[in-house]
Amino acid sequence: MAGAAGDVKALFSSLKSAYVATPTKLKIIDLYVFYALCTAVIQVVYMALVGSFPFNAFLSGFLSCVGTAVLAVCLRMQVNPKNKEFKELSLERAFADFVLANLVLHLVIMNFLG
Amino acid sequence: MGAKSQAGSNSQVISSFLSVQSSFPVSFKMKTKQQEMLLRIGALMLIYVLAFASRLFSVLRYESMIHEFDPYFNYRTTLYLTEKGFYEFWNWFDYETWYPLGRIIGGTLYPGLMVTAAVLYWTLRLLSFMVHIRDVCVLTAPFFASNTTLVAYFFGKEIWDTGAGIVAAALIAICPGYISRSVAGSYDNEGVAIFALLLTFYLFVKAVKTGSLAWSVASSFAYFYMVSAWGGYIFIINLVPLYVLALLVTGRYSLRLYIAYNTMYILGMLLAMQIRFVGFQHVQSGEHMAAMGVFFLTQVFYMVNWVKDQLDNPRLFRTFLRVTVLSAITVGGLAFAVGMATGYISPWTGRFYSLLDPTYAKDHIPIIASVSEHQPTAWSSFMFDFHILLILFPAGLYYCFKRLDDGTIFIIIYGMTSLYFAGVMVRLILVAAPAICLISAVAVSATFKNLFGLLRSKNQGAVSTKSSGSTKAWSKGVVDQSLPLQKKGAFVLVLGVFYLLMSYVTHCTWVTSEAYSSPSIVLAARQSNGDKVIFDDFREAYYWLRHNTPPDAKVMSWWDYGYQITAMGNRTVIVDNNTWNNTHIATVGRAMSSYEDEAYEIMKELDVSYVLVVFGGVTGYSSDDINKFLWMVRIGGGVFPIIKEPDYLVNGDYRVDKGAAPKMLQCLMYKLCYYRFGELMTEYGRPPGWDRARGVEIGNKDIVLDHLEEALTTTNWIVRIYKVKPPQNRA
Amino acid sequence: MAMAGRAIQVSSIIVILLGIASGSLSLPPDRSLHPRILVLVDDLTVKSSHSLFFASLADRGYRLEFKLTSDPSLALTSYGEYLFDGLILFAPAAEHFGGSVDIASILDFVDSGRDLILAADVGMSETLRTIANECGVEFDEDSNAVVIDHLNFAESETDTEHSLIAADTFVASSAILGEKGAEAPVLFQGIAHSVAPANDLVIKVLSASASAYSANPEVQLNGPPSLSGTSISLVSVLQARNNARVLISGSLSLFSNKFFVFPFKKFGSSTSFQRSGNQMFAEEISKWVFHERGHLKAVNVHHHKVGNLEEPSMYRITDHIEYSVEIYEWTGKTWKPYVADDVQVQFYMMSPYILKTLNHNGQGLYTTSFQVPDVYGVFQFKLDYNRLGYTTLAISKQIPVRPFRHNEYERFIPAAYPYYSSSFSMMFGFFLFGVVFLYHK
Repeated sequence: MAGAAGDVKALFSSLKSAYVATPTKLKIIDLYVFYALCTAVIQVVYMALVGSFPFNAFLSGFLSCVGTAVLAVCLRMQVNPKNKEFKELSLERAFADFVLANLVLHLVIMNFLG
Repeated sequence: MGAKSQAGSNSQVISSFLSVQSSFPVSFKMKTKQQEMLLRIGALMLIYVLAFASRLFSVLRYESMIHEFDPYFNYRTTLYLTEKGFYEFWNWFDYETWYPLGRIIGGTLYPGLMVTAAVLYWTLRLLSFMVHIRDVCVLTAPFFASNTTLVAYFFGKEIWDTGAGIVAAALIAICPGYISRSVAGSYDNEGVAIFALLLTFYLFVKAVKTGSLAWSVASSFAYFYMVSAWGGYIFIINLVPLYVLALLVTGRYSLRLYIAYNTMYILGMLLAMQIRFVGFQHVQSGEHMAAMGVFFLTQVFYMVNWVKDQLDNPRLFRTFLRVTVLSAITVGGLAFAVGMATGYISPWTGRFYSLLDPTYAKDHIPIIASVSEHQPTAWSSFMFDFHILLILFPAGLYYCFKRLDDGTIFIIIYGMTSLYFAGVMVRLILVAAPAICLISAVAVSATFKNLFGLLRSKNQGAVSTKSSGSTKAWSKGVVDQSLPLQKKGAFVLVLGVFYLLMSYVTHCTWVTSEAYSSPSIVLAARQSNGDKVIFDDFREAYYWLRHNTPPDAKVMSWWDYGYQITAMGNRTVIVDNNTWNNTHIATVGRAMSSYEDEAYEIMKELDVSYVLVVFGGVTGYSSDDINKFLWMVRIGGGVFPIIKEPDYLVNGDYRVDKGAAPKMLQCLMYKLCYYRFGELMTEYGRPPGWDRARGVEIGNKDIVLDHLEEALTTTNWIVRIYKVKPPQNRA
Repeated sequence: MAMAGRAIQVSSIIVILLGIASGSLSLPPDRSLHPRILVLVDDLTVKSSHSLFFASLADRGYRLEFKLTSDPSLALTSYGEYLFDGLILFAPAAEHFGGSVDIASILDFVDSGRDLILAADVGMSETLRTIANECGVEFDEDSNAVVIDHLNFAESETDTEHSLIAADTFVASSAILGEKGAEAPVLFQGIAHSVAPANDLVIKVLSASASAYSANPEVQLNGPPSLSGTSISLVSVLQARNNARVLISGSLSLFSNKFFVFPFKKFGSSTSFQRSGNQMFAEEISKWVFHERGHLKAVNVHHHKVGNLEEPSMYRITDHIEYSVEIYEWTGKTWKPYVADDVQVQFYMMSPYILKTLNHNGQGLYTTSFQVPDVYGVFQFKLDYNRLGYTTLAISKQIPVRPFRHNEYERFIPAAYPYYSSSFSMMFGFFLFGVVFLYHK
């Protein structure tokens, strides 16, 4: 038990130290993702308390968060210089794609809310 | 004949293109490229026209009309859409069907097809072409088939090369398996859905290959179009996760895959939920759960990979992996169990079950098993619909396995699964057709490339084994010495493949013109002297209904004819081809298989004013109500156990002659079909009352009807309509 | 004939004018005010032997025309038009009819909504038996059999077989027998019949007592009688679905002057009656047969949403609606409001979803209001009014009920505000993120 707990501790500390080296740009994205996920979790808790009656509203609220997070993660992959797969993809192009996807996402969400 | 010669010339174009591509010397590179471009565009245009033209046989043979059953519903709804506008259509509550339950049309159909046709119609109107909506509907399927050839070209190019693309386009343009559902007049969901299906797959593969968000968004839009057009979108939403899972398992996971799948899933799901008929099903029903599971799996996978990236300590990583995997499985399992237990996740539907277990429908859901297009496929129809593609398919698979990448893996999975489903259900041959065409195209293209490589080496004389990678793949550098022999062999093989392709073209044209262009609302038969006779009884009957019955009359018939009656007869029906309410259909089945007085009570309950039966005893039309009758009994008996199938059989045999079961001879369907038939001479040298569809003399010749009276029997007796008499005045 | 036709037209026009003048209540009489009745007899003495009965009809405005059954000019129709509104068949022994009249034409006469009084008697013909049979009544197979009751007979010197029955088992319906009912037993001497059990349109008006039986007095009874007890009907009526009314009596003499004024004493009873109940019975029941009582009609069926008088072509689920109908009863001269507390309407689709008793205003207007159930489909307002002796009212009006339209649902629900805010915060977050991301170097 103690060993496992130590492992977890060591895990977190090494993760933390590794993460410090991440570029700020990626950290911004991480913050954004974190914010979206928190909102999603809050909504799930709220739904568990209140009930799922306006189900479409819940789905659109929840999925807008999940969608935002997923899209942001995709952007993060594409702009991460460590990922060799996206060498030829320019930052501008990646961001433009990201904006497009987000526009689609939010327009659909708007339609689905009411 | 026109289409035939076109097809022939077309395959020559392909071959000449192929030979051009491989035989021009390198020094004219620039020029070659331009020429190649020109040829490619020319070939594609020809294919485009060919795909459209070869689907027009039905218009030439008969007339510009809607075919079969479901298309009539689609036509009726399209008409409504163009007349009343989109919002009325969206909110349409149709009280002329499923009397007295009614049907919310807007919420129970896939609107893609109707909206597409309406948009085409409005566009043409805008361009001041005064077309009739019916003609637009008739030509929608061929138009989209043409578009499919373009998608097939790009898809083929994406997974293999341009040659494969062109061949795929040519193959799919005339593939009988696809033509069967997309001839002019076959105005059904499948017509546009196959285009949407292939487009979705193409864009998704493109997205996986590039890892671009834009392509993923595009594929989710294609998916949206597919969802709006056909219930077969279930295939996509299960195939794509399967593909992702296969890549994960085989260690081909990439960030591109993550981007493509997750973007497509989230956006595609949100878009799909905008279709009322799908709605929350997309997050609730069992069919969609695989996609959701894979979505979570990719998140976990990404997380693990990310942590692995960050850590350099393998021991720590193992700990982390253990914790994550354990918790992920627990959470996932728990969520699924809770969902199932609370009924939040609905169980799989019958059709889905019957896909996985072909015997399921037969035992449990007669209404699914009763539809002929839900039957398991016979070998002959595979041969009929695919012809040489069946031989080329394994060869293509071989090539695909030789060159595994994201694209070929996808097409392999698509091909294998759809082939299985095509074996389970006849109608799913349609879904398999594009895959089979693509894989066969790979085979043709690769073979030609190798063979022409060999032939070209003969032309140039001194080409060594280094010449091209594919030649290497073909000959494996085995025998440089036996080159002359190999060349001859290659030449023979090229001729052989040409012969195969030619015979494919001939076969396709023949099948299209003879088998798949019949509208089935107008029947054609050949007399003994070879003349063609046209039976237009269905329309005769429906127009009679339209003009001779009160507008609020309710017509009871077996559900097959429901759509046609509402669309052409403009009368209320009790049940129709949208078989959403089994009980209601069973009630009709019960009425048809009861004695007349019992049936009369049921019909009074349903306010039935007319009963319509389809009878082939005079013409020999075999898919009439007597031959469908056992399904009525089965479906009726499934809900009302008072109807028992053995009551209608004699020692397990279904008979209508003197030896038939007593209940059979007295039930409503028998009486209505054979009323006054006993006095009719149908064939020379046979006794009166000779049923030509079944080749027997009927067993009950003096039928007396108490509660119904004959209202109309069409020219060839195919449709018979009876009026339900009001209750007797004094009793 | 042409003259008579004009007279009717004129009188009906007058009534219409009167109706317009006096307000909405008096409706135009769609029934003839002076009905023509054909009386077919096989012996013209019946005209005098039953004159009291005929006189009461004539007094009430009926124009009687007497013909012998053998009259070669007999006809019920002329150029497709019926010449009579009612037919009295006082010819028990008639085998054939003259002219164009036969069994089928008489049944057609009934099926066209016209009325028939048929009196049989001992020795009745096969023809009459067939007509009666078609109207749900079966006479004793032996046409010489009579109803015999050794306990409930009227004492008389001539009747030694106890076949002069003093019957007092009446149907409990003031519509058929009038408000007062019969004050004395009805004398009956004739053949027995039974009503078809499957036919619920036939009503036994006068039944025999438990001790009665049907037998031929000339023949020794060997074996139980074919008909006995209360299953024997003496007088029955049939109200057809199209409102034609048929009276079938096993005794012609029931309507005779002799029986009308017959003083008698019932066997075993101390009270003796000055007159039999026959006259009153015959008069009252003829009023019913000729629609002076119990003939209802429902008009002006109307339904609409609360607050909107226009009748829509379709309702939406959970709409509040009102339903109204006017019911009138024919008195022989005018339509008078029908007043009853048991008229109900169903909102029906395969089964009644709503069953409401209608309120009335005493002037024939029946109304109710209710909320459409939360079920869509093609519904019917069904009014099935089926009371003994009254016209069966069966009116149904079809109306589809549709579900909510997409924009009729509640749009913004307070419980969902967190979701809305989260969606908007995501959009806002997206902008913020975009700006930060782009301008961060």
